[in-house]
Amino acid sequence: MSVNTPVDPSQFDIEAIDLSDPDFWAEPPAARHAVFDRLRAERPFAHFAEPVMVGADPEGEPGPGYFAVTRHADLDAISSQPLIFCSGKGAVSIQDIPADLNEFYGSMISMDDPRHARIRRIVSKTFTPRMLEQVIDSVVGIVDDVLAEARRKAEAGDGSLDVVADIAAPIPLRIICDMMGVPEEDRAEVLAASNVILAGGDPELTDPVDPLGALINAGITLAGIMERLAAERLARPTDDLTTALVTTEVDGEKLSHQEIASFFILLLVAGNETTRNAISQGLHVLSENPEQRARWMADPSLDKTAVEEIVRYISPVTWMRRTATQDGEVNGHAFKDGDKFLLFYSAANRDPELFADPHVFDLTRNPNPHVGFGGHGPHFCLGAHLARRELAVTFRRLFEICPDLEITGEPARLRSSFVNGLKRLPARLTGER
Amino acid sequence: MSRVEVDRDRCVGSGVCESLAPDVFEVDDDGALMVHRPEPAADELDGVRDAVQQCPARALALAE
Repeated sequence: MSVNTPVDPSQFDIEAIDLSDPDFWAEPPAARHAVFDRLRAERPFAHFAEPVMVGADPEGEPGPGYFAVTRHADLDAISSQPLIFCSGKGAVSIQDIPADLNEFYGSMISMDDPRHARIRRIVSKTFTPRMLEQVIDSVVGIVDDVLAEARRKAEAGDGSLDVVADIAAPIPLRIICDMMGVPEEDRAEVLAASNVILAGGDPELTDPVDPLGALINAGITLAGIMERLAAERLARPTDDLTTALVTTEVDGEKLSHQEIASFFILLLVAGNETTRNAISQGLHVLSENPEQRARWMADPSLDKTAVEEIVRYISPVTWMRRTATQDGEVNGHAFKDGDKFLLFYSAANRDPELFADPHVFDLTRNPNPHVGFGGHGPHFCLGAHLARRELAVTFRRLFEICPDLEITGEPARLRSSFVNGLKRLPARLTGER
Repeated sequence: MSRVEVDRDRCVGSGVCESLAPDVFEVDDDGALMVHRPEPAADELDGVRDAVQQCPARALALAE
């Protein structure tokens, strides 16, 4: 087992830590985790000022800031009390943004019961393992196609490829688009728009001057594609998820086309980028831990624990927000109505209270009570089962089809506090099998 | 005797119950929930009650 290069946490001033500084999120993971180790141990409810949103009204009042939750026990306590710590004020944005915009981009992730329960009840019905059986059966074929294409492309050149663009991005995108029945000609647009939504202010992926305008346009693009598709499926049903979403009724209730469009945006954001980053960073971590890679490659019975460890170690979603609906106390921390909390899954997933040697990547870790799919509570990842299967199949097929894949350089990291992402990861196929 | 009930039309195989009561619940590779002990032992009931309460799909019930 090897350790991600440790950074001595006593080497920096705790007062100087600022999680709202975009540059912090450009630091290498080891440096960020050293900061979180320090916060978790010394200031488990550290308060930070609201980050400045590019393009925001300079005259506007800044928000009250937020408390960074870094201990596993605190995160789970907050997550599992949705009446006291709500999502409806925004789960994916630190700043308060209008509720309708929040719901448009976040769907049920930024809602509370009973509205959240109503939508979740309907979409859950289309996400049962029985309903997803067909999708999951198609995962192997999609992964094989993508890997074959990556190999063809690499071998047509000098053997080099980009793990993100050639492997990690197309796999979940194709799975979600197949699931929803998105036509081939719309898929490039879907990828570009979802990149903008999750750019997290990274100027390379969005409009550096007007990120807010770019975000709104991307949302409109996706909603347009989906509303058109929903109308088509209502007229001519097929066996895809869109058809199930437009026709499923629970207690006489159906989703509106607008709600389906918002759910589609959520699926893309939650199911596409997260899986992409788990694949690309999983490959990167495996290349840093060649003995574990060899061990997993040789032993498919490790698939289950290995996938959980990748999700723990990478934590593709860094945080979600909750907002207090009343005054109270949680694990000794007094809070007031309206206080914002960022639940740092990435930090809780390295909490030494729960994980022995938390910075060690260990494919056999078991039990592994990580919060990579969220803490306990109503917002736990709906697609956890699908994600686990996608990851297990992708890595297994990678070992079989591309055993000669070699990471050749440092990854280009997304500068985002919200998504732990890679933009590029250079690799090559050596041809040695 | 308390008995665990699963609504198969709701279960999404998230595995939350397994994390709270691992001796009682297990989600298999196909995402199907297996209930190893439909009538949990007394010392397992707290975990099962947590699982019922925390199930994100509200697919579990405990008939007591």
